[in-house]
Parts: sequence; structure tokens; C-alpha cells
Amino acid sequence: MSDFHFSPEARPFATEYNSVTELKSAFFSQPGADPITNFMQFFSLMLLMHASFLCIHGVAQPLCSGTYSGIVVDEHGQPIVGAAIVLFPTQQGQTSDAMGQFNFTGLCRKLYTVKVQFLGYKEESFELRVNTVDARIVLQELVTQLDEVVIRHHDAAHTESATNFTEMDEKQLAEAAGKSLGEAMREMSGVSTLQTGPGIFKPVIHGVHSQRILILNNGIRQEGQQWGAEHAPEIDPSVAANVVVIKDASAIKYGGDALGGTVIVNPAELPVAPGINGSINSIFQTNGRSATLSGMVEGGLARHEGWGWRLQSSAKRAGDFNTAAYNLTNTGIRELNFSAAVGYHKVKAGFDLYFSRFGTEIGILKGTAVGNLDDLVAAMERPEPLYTSSFSYAISEPRQQVSHNLIKLNGHLTTSRGEWRVQYGFQNNNRQEFDKRIGQLSKLPAMDLRLNTHTIDAEWENLHHGEATFTFGINTILQDNENVPGTQRIPFIPNYLNVSAGVFGVTKIQLDSWTLDAGLRYDYRHYDVKGYDFKNELYSSSFNFANLSGTIGATWNISTTQMLRFNGSSAWRPPHVAELYSLGTHQSAASIEYGLLLNDATNEVMDLDDVNFNPEQAFKFVTTYSFNRLPWALEVSPYANFILNYTYLRPTGLTRNSRGVYPYLRNTQTDALFIGADVTANWQATRSIRASATASLLHASDVKANDYLVFIPSNRYNFTLRYEKPAVGGLRNLYAESKLYFVTRQSRAPRVVTVSKLREAQRAGVNPFEEDDSNFDFMEAPAGYILLDFAVGFSLRADKVQYDFRLASENLTNELYREYTNRFRYYADDRGRNITVSIRCIF
Amino acid sequence: MKKKLLLDLKLLKSLLFLVLSAAMVLSCDDIAPEREETPELITKVVLTFTPMAGGPAVIGTANDPDGDGLQNMTPDAAINLNSNTSYSLEISLLNGLADPSSAAYDVSAEVKEEADEHLFFFGWSGGLFQNPQGDGNIEDRDDNVDYSDTDANGLPLGLVTAWTTGPAENGTFRIVLKHQPNLKSLMSGSDIGESDLDVEFNITID
Repeated sequence: MSDFHFSPEARPFATEYNSVTELKSAFFSQPGADPITNFMQFFSLMLLMHASFLCIHGVAQPLCSGTYSGIVVDEHGQPIVGAAIVLFPTQQGQTSDAMGQFNFTGLCRKLYTVKVQFLGYKEESFELRVNTVDARIVLQELVTQLDEVVIRHHDAAHTESATNFTEMDEKQLAEAAGKSLGEAMREMSGVSTLQTGPGIFKPVIHGVHSQRILILNNGIRQEGQQWGAEHAPEIDPSVAANVVVIKDASAIKYGGDALGGTVIVNPAELPVAPGINGSINSIFQTNGRSATLSGMVEGGLARHEGWGWRLQSSAKRAGDFNTAAYNLTNTGIRELNFSAAVGYHKVKAGFDLYFSRFGTEIGILKGTAVGNLDDLVAAMERPEPLYTSSFSYAISEPRQQVSHNLIKLNGHLTTSRGEWRVQYGFQNNNRQEFDKRIGQLSKLPAMDLRLNTHTIDAEWENLHHGEATFTFGINTILQDNENVPGTQRIPFIPNYLNVSAGVFGVTKIQLDSWTLDAGLRYDYRHYDVKGYDFKNELYSSSFNFANLSGTIGATWNISTTQMLRFNGSSAWRPPHVAELYSLGTHQSAASIEYGLLLNDATNEVMDLDDVNFNPEQAFKFVTTYSFNRLPWALEVSPYANFILNYTYLRPTGLTRNSRGVYPYLRNTQTDALFIGADVTANWQATRSIRASATASLLHASDVKANDYLVFIPSNRYNFTLRYEKPAVGGLRNLYAESKLYFVTRQSRAPRVVTVSKLREAQRAGVNPFEEDDSNFDFMEAPAGYILLDFAVGFSLRADKVQYDFRLASENLTNELYREYTNRFRYYADDRGRNITVSIRCIF
Repeated sequence: MKKKLLLDLKLLKSLLFLVLSAAMVLSCDDIAPEREETPELITKVVLTFTPMAGGPAVIGTANDPDGDGLQNMTPDAAINLNSNTSYSLEISLLNGLADPSSAAYDVSAEVKEEADEHLFFFGWSGGLFQNPQGDGNIEDRDDNVDYSDTDANGLPLGLVTAWTTGPAENGTFRIVLKHQPNLKSLMSGSDIGESDLDVEFNITID
């Protein structure tokens, strides 16, 4: 077992800690934890402590009083975030902030040389005159890397011409600090979440999720147990400098199976200039009474230009969340994450070595633990969940314990023939789910999965002197899923070995006002599967899938203010083993799930050849029209995604085991159509006031059965009013923002078959789905709701140090509401008011 | 230029081959999981009605051989009891997927060990018994059931109960076992906690 433990005793975060030992014991205790975990906990803590010391240290009185401030921009006038500005000979360094700005104070009246660097741009060097304000430093781009761009955040401008995407930049991420990745991503248009209680968020793009979304973490395809609806992505958002969501299936170089889109989580580039920088962020939230600490230090090496390193860590502890009316007992979260990177980068060659660890323990609302239909009726009818008690930091069953380790080595080399990029990644994912069970069994995980994945990717890109770029490459995956022995339960999914390989070619042709792109990809996947059936007898199987994916797109720069983008792609997804073989009850699902390969009548495991099964095949079309002329900016992005052989859990019948009657769901295939549009409008009313509105609209249907699908996000709108001023008196980056979320009721929800009806049918001895086996839901879709958020923030600058303060409230009016895509809407309301205070120090 | 491009593609191909062959070697490993014991799975319920005045016990069984599989748990036959007779009922929960010699076989032993978190509820069609009267405590916890065992807190458990049949009658007899960790009390009804067992038998009294 490689998970961390926190001490069970609850402790308010406002307590002052006298010593490192006390602080350490307040956050962690390690009964039975292995030495590596211990070391890492200690190291992370030291990092945070050390960083806070630096911060306090940094505020020392400056000796001289000269200043130098300004902004770093690219040729298009766009601010460059994270550029290194170093003054010689004193070697004072800063990185440009989220607005591209920098500010040196305490400079003496002497001759300085300024060097400004940013990877992918030409270095600038010039003499500085002290007391310059509003200097404008323009960096020239080096070789453009048109396809690689998405995973390098400074190049994000290029993706605009390639695909339909939306981005969360460093500033937006900073404002979402303390949230999980999925929750933070809800801010993006077209992105929503599939939620399990207050703490588990899975990103949903244009109505599809899980295996249909590819997540790229630091350039590596994230391989976790994404098949489960209550399995959130195992990524700490505080490592990210930006998050890009590609909403079409055009990113085929990362995999052909991104039917819904691709999420790209990019860490910042490693520094190349000497000097040490860093930041510390502490976030406190009232709902859940949580504290999140994160810290980062990075630097380059003096006299070893090109070398850079970064250490980063974050720790979070939250207790029970609450709704506007009651506590959500056992919904606490503990999280400890760590990452380290070192790299060497020159224009011609470079490499990175990266390690990250994500570890979390999440409590699952206690009142959702139901044994059978009667329990489910009782749980749904209760005004507040069973077991509801006063606030606590304690986490007990049902709960999840998840860790994800990643090691990545990548390199690039530019030769006269083109650029080579190679990377190797190893991911180790551990997921343990604990349920309330008889006797001492509660201490054993009911599900204990270890997933090890090796990936090797290599690609070659031509040197693009001309109009066309070509990239060819391969992706290989070797993956081993193992049920760790000792659960005392028949495994829900079998052990499997997955060997996959894909080859792709991507091209991009730039003409005057047009950019065309196209790509083709071939994938092969081999599975070896071994598991136990319901009689606890061994079965095994092996099979292959192979298919072609393709994408074609065009960007038309109609004028300087208008642009039209189009992409059409065909993506293909081999089934996950869980969809084929899953068997049994799942955490808090109150139902039994059967895989596609289990016989309808006998439930015996069948051979793939004996089943009418076809992998999912999606055809997705996205068009984006954008208009940009001050004070207006408008973007309209309609889309259609037709998924053949769409695999989903369909309610099929009732079965009775010793615990009573359960509804059972069977993985079934149909054809699904997702049609929708994302709309964003911005109005810069004055220099400092901006109003914006976004709409995410979606109509999803089961085309074959002419029916609706369950858990599809309803139409949602949000309106933002933001006041922002770069400087007011001594305050910097002052802002105040008010946001209104309007979420409509899902009117396109399947019919309702109440649990009481099911129970009656079962008592009468009839199959309630005999005559009408259309999709259903246990409850009506909840009413629409309106939430109001408010936030204010500003920065203070001292010598070499910047402090960012933020005070925010979500659900300001303390609404009692339920969200249709929250799986726990059957049992409890959603979160009530939350007030966040965060202080960030950047040095 | 073209030649060089071909060379690069060749390199790519050989790299792909290398990875695939490495994968093939690794895939020869045995990936079969270990067989798990399934101690909480109840595939068989045995009711033993022993006449208090002595005589042969009456045994009723219900089976669900496929556990979480599609087949329902069903009683094997109606339980035949004598009229106007006092019985002691002992409930035994067995796990047919486990070896009879293993600890995982007898689930009722686990229930007994965790008596303070478990409670059996009983429900029957009216008139089957003269004692206790009524239709059982599934609908209403306060209704009568004659528990013969208690947990460490002095609260009833229900692995052993006492019954006195009435005159000749046919009816149903339902047993619900609830897991009520930190919830079990004098008041906690059958709607509290999680169901570990819910099974219905037919009883014939003649």
C-alpha cells in the first residue's frame, strides 16, 4: 500500500502551530506508511516551510529606491506569461505575471543590463535606465511549432488556427485554486461535470465523458481507472500553467479515442535563466472548512544556461461539506501531491525529466450506502441523508483512496532533416474503494486496483521553411491492470493486459487567408483478460481491435476581425474491459452492473465473437465563428457528434439476491446524437469594466430508440461583470467580479420509474421493463437554479515579492439546489454557501 | 530530401517493432488474479425450527447459487410447522462459494461477532402465529417479535427467536437483516441502515 494517512483528529485550520513537528503531526501521521511516503511527506512539508521563510525574508527593506516596470509582449501585442527578466550584473530576476507584467523596485542608480528570455522566443538584451515605468519589451518568436503547440502554453496562439478549443489561463487557474481539476474546468464553455457528491468531479465535454475524453497530463496520456462514473481524474490542478480543452476530435496525434475531445494540462515551461523564483499559495474555504497549501520553487543554473528545475507540492484537507440546510456527513477530502522536474533546453535540443505524485482520500456521503430497493426508497424519501451528524474531518467507509505516480522523460532534437521528439512515460495508478461491509471486512478494500502503464511516443516533424508542415509519429502503450489480492470479493473488473500501438501523420498547410489541416491515424489494441465470473470461476480471453481515425479542418481568416474555423473528424474507441466484463455492485450505485459479454439469461461470460459488438465510432463536426473588434468579442461554436454503437449502462431488470432486490443495469449499445452550441460574448464597456456571457447548449438523444439519455447536462448560462484596474494607489491588479450561473431544468430527461413502482412490480412478480424497456431514471430531473458568485482581489508588491489576495464567495445566497448531473441528487442537495480566502506570495 | 524522409520513416518502423516485441514478451506473464474468498456473500439461508417440547427439527432453506448473478434467491419449499406448537428458530447464513471448512463459509458467525451493529426483522402474513401476535416488526419496530438473544448493549439480535404457531394456515414469512453501525437502538426500524439479507419463505401450518 502506498497511500498516505492524515491524523484522524479534527483540527480547525486557524490554530497556530508552534513547531514543525506540531504542524507536521497536524497534517499527517503515518501508521504503516512506507519510508518513501514518509520522506515525500516530509519533503513536501519542508518545501512549503522553506518557501514561506523565503517569502518573509524577501520583504526586507530595499537599500536603493529606483524602479523598473513594464510588460513583456509577443509580436501580436499579446502578453507573455512567465518570461524571465534578469538584471545584470546583480542577477536580480523576475518572471512576467499573468498579465505579462513585471516590476523591479529597490534598484540603485547604476548601469544595468536587462536580459529577457522565454522558450520559443528570441532572447532580448539591452541597457536599462533606472526609473523607467511601463517599458514594453517585445519578444520575437523563433521557429514556429505548429502542431506541438497545444502542449506548450506560450504557443497556445497557434492552436487557435488549428482547432476548436477553449483555454483556462494561469490567471483563471489561480482564481480557481483550491478546487479539483474537474471542478475548476466547469468554468469553461462547453465543459460541465459528472459529479458524485460534493468532492468528485469528472469533466464532461459536449455531453460525453470518461473513456471518451482524452486527458493529456504534461504531454502524457493520463491512464487511470476512468471508466467509473465516480472516478475523478488523478491530477493536481496546481501543477498547471494552463488547461486547454480541444472540443473536436482533431488531436489525433495523442490518440484516436478522443470522441468527445481532449483535455490538455500543461505545466509551465522550466526556467532557462539563472535565479530562484517561486510561489506559495494558501487557500481557506468555509464550506468543508478546508485548508489548501501549495508551494513551488524553480530556478535555472548560473553559468549553465539552458538548465532549469522545479519542485512543487500541494496539500489539502477538507472536512464535511454542507448544503444550505444540513451537513453532508463523511464527505471530507485529504490530498497530498508532489512533483519535481529538471530539464535542459536549447533551441536545437533539450530534455525534461518529470516526476509527479497525486494522492487523495475522499469520503463518500454516508447516507448513500444502500443495500437494496427498500433502502433506496428510504434514502430518497428522507429530507436529509441518514447518518447526518455535526461537522467532522473524519473520513470513514464508504471512501476512496487513490494515488497516481508519473515518471516522464522526454527529449527533442533538431537536425537538418527535421525535429525529433521522443518521450517515455510510466504511470502507476492505485485505486482502493472501501465500503461498509460485515465485520472486519470494512477495513479491507472492496475494490483494489493497480494499473501500470508504460507509454512510448516518438514523432518527427519536418523543418517548415515552406507553407506545409508534416508530422509523423507512433504511440505505444503497454498496460497491466491487476486486482490486488485480499479484497474478499469477486473482482468487479478482471485483470487485463493491454498492448496498443498507433501510427499517425498530421499535416498543416498555410495559405494566404486559409489554413488547412488534416490527419490520419491507425490504431491497434490487443487485450488479454483474466477474471472470475459470478460463480467465482476463472475465465480468460484475448482479442484485438484495429481501426482508422481521421480529421480534416480549415481556418479562414475572413478579415482582421472575423474568423471561421471548421473541423470534421472520425474517431474510434475500443471498449474498456469494464464495459465488457463488469460484474457486481458498485460503490453507492444501488444497482448491479453487468458487462456486455455477460449472457442475458445466464450471466455466463461469453466470447467476443459470439456477441454482436462493434467498437464506438464517432463523427464529430465543430464550427467556430469568431468576431473580435473592440469593445466586442463574440464566439459561436455549434457542433454535432454522432456516436455509433454508443455504449452505456441501460436499466434492464430486477434481480433478487440475499440482500434483497436490486435493479440491474447492462452495458448496452445504441446510436447517440449530441447536438449543441457554445456561445461566448464579451463587451469591454470601459477600460476597466467588462461584461461577458456564455451559453452551453446541448441536445442529446438515443437515435435508435428515439429516446433521451440520462445524466446529460442541461442548458446553462453564465453572466459575468468584472471590474479590473492594473494599479489603484498602492494596489495592483485590483479586481471585483460578480458571476451569475443560470442552469435550466433538464427537460430532455428519460421517463421516471420510481423505486416504489419497481418494488410493486417486483412484489407482483412482473418484470417492470418487459413491455417498455426505454431508458428511465428513478427521479424527476431537479428544478433549474440560479447561483451567484462574488470575488474581489488585489496584489501588493514589495521588493522581489508579490502578494495576491483574494476573497470570494460561491453560492452567495446559500441556495438549496440539486444538479441533474450530480449522481447523489437522489440523496442530498448540493453545496451551500462557500467563502474562500486565499493569499498567494510570488517571489 | 525524399531519401532522408524514408530513412526517418524506417527508423520509426523499427522503433515500433522494438516496442511491440517487448510488449509481446511481457504479455506472456500470467495475469490471472488470485481467487478471492467471498465471506460476505450469502448464497444459502437455513432456518431451523426446533420444537421446544422436543422432537425433530423442521428445516427450511433458500438458495441463490449465483450470488450477484441474475438468478433470484428463492426458497426451496414451504416450511411445514405443526399448529399450536412452540418453536425456537435459529437462522444460519451460508456462503456456498466458499469451502465449508473455511471461516468464510458461515456468515452468521460474522453477524454474531458484530451483534451490536446488526438486527433481524421479521414480517409474516397475519395469523400464522399466536405468539408473537400481529404481522411482525418490519413495518413497525414496536410490534412484537420474541428475540431470544441480545448484543453486548442488551439490544435484541435475532439469530435465535421464539415462535408459537396458531391454527392451520398458509402464509409468508420474511426475514430482513439490517446492518446498523452506530445506528442500532431500541427505536431503529427496518428502514434504518443497509440490508444484508432480505428473503421471503412460505410457511404451511397444519
